[in-house]
Amino acid sequence: MTGKSDKYPGLSPLPPPFAGEDPPIAEVIVEKCIGCDRCPPLCFFDSLFMEEAPGHPFGRVALVVPGKCTGCGLCFEACPVDAFRWVPGPRPARGGREDR
Amino acid sequence: MSLRTSFLGLDLQSPVIVASGPASHDVNQVRTAEEQGAGAVVLKTACSDRYAEMRSWPRPRYKLLDWDRQIRGRSKAFSLYSYEQGYSGTLGDYWEFIRACKSRTSLPVIGSIFAGPPGEWEDLAGHVESNGADAVELDISSPHRPGSLAFESTFVAAIRAVARGVKIPVLVKLAPGPDVPDQCVAAEQAGASALTLCNRLRGIDVDCESQRPILHGSYGGIGGPWAKYYTMRHVAEAAQRISVPISATGGVMTGEDAVKYILLGASTVQVLSVILVNGWESIGRINDSVLSYCDRKQVHAVRELCGRALEHLTPPGEITRWSGEPIDGPRNDWKE
Repeated sequence: MTGKSDKYPGLSPLPPPFAGEDPPIAEVIVEKCIGCDRCPPLCFFDSLFMEEAPGHPFGRVALVVPGKCTGCGLCFEACPVDAFRWVPGPRPARGGREDR
Repeated sequence: MSLRTSFLGLDLQSPVIVASGPASHDVNQVRTAEEQGAGAVVLKTACSDRYAEMRSWPRPRYKLLDWDRQIRGRSKAFSLYSYEQGYSGTLGDYWEFIRACKSRTSLPVIGSIFAGPPGEWEDLAGHVESNGADAVELDISSPHRPGSLAFESTFVAAIRAVARGVKIPVLVKLAPGPDVPDQCVAAEQAGASALTLCNRLRGIDVDCESQRPILHGSYGGIGGPWAKYYTMRHVAEAAQRISVPISATGGVMTGEDAVKYILLGASTVQVLSVILVNGWESIGRINDSVLSYCDRKQVHAVRELCGRALEHLTPPGEITRWSGEPIDGPRNDWKE
């Protein structure tokens, strides 16, 4: 079945509930991140990078740059531990709904 | 032995080209493509103002189906399902983008456009040329484009107008389907310098839990490694009908895939999904694999491979056949 399953978790097949009101961006769930480095290379918008995180069990975590994230969803697919969630992001300067 | 090859009069360091898409929307990606050994880049498609809504992107817009993250893209069965849109900037931004790519890299740059009436295509292609692109690809077959994908009534005149209007080579990107060979011939007759075969298909997937089409409820573009086999057929069919070169694209994950396309008549191959799932280093891996194959086969230039498999393509009437079951065999013997 399409959708979330044990074998193919990844991105939910549907947009988050608030997607009609605010532009979704990805956010790292820091407590779930294992610092594996998989997501930054997959981001085509330079909005993901790794940061040292002293005190975190893995010593480093991924971080999303809110102003650069275009909400494409690929980082959700790259993450082996479902450490991403959608949050409302800043409205883009161009191409957002308010410009139409 | 070198991978260096000539395509449309352009000197490419490799036959592997980055396809138009999310890996070709900014100048730094073009620099990365060059560093990784790509032969050229087809920039993300710019839409005419008529289709300005294509510059705004839904969120999210990519979903990997049947994707096993645990093996990180080594699955050869996944599908990239997307609601991909056009270049997000204005046309002015796009012309500046082309100029930046040309001034900051030495990689051949192919502009990609999508428009409405033939004159609009010609106008955009003229700007692509005047801003320094080495060629222009007409994206007449995007699975995401609004309106008709009718080829004869919509696009032949556009190809003709562009081919007459610019001096740079004109690539025409077709969708898969039974009409590909005839469309290739029509495009060549209309002045196309090369054919890009093939775009992804328009498809749809449904989330059974919510009973809704996935992502935004519309049709999406669908492709992946599984798609290469029918695209290879299209390349083989087209290569026998046209004399202009073919740039093959669809499901190339390995050097072997690239070699197969070339053996079936392609001059270059375009890649995107493999970069998306396995990173930019995939270009180097494909290059190394093709190079190794050429060495093993004692081929001095990759173009020597072009179309070799076609020499052994057998018409159905010439296939050696043997009888199936004997006429008095067990077929009709009902076993009580």
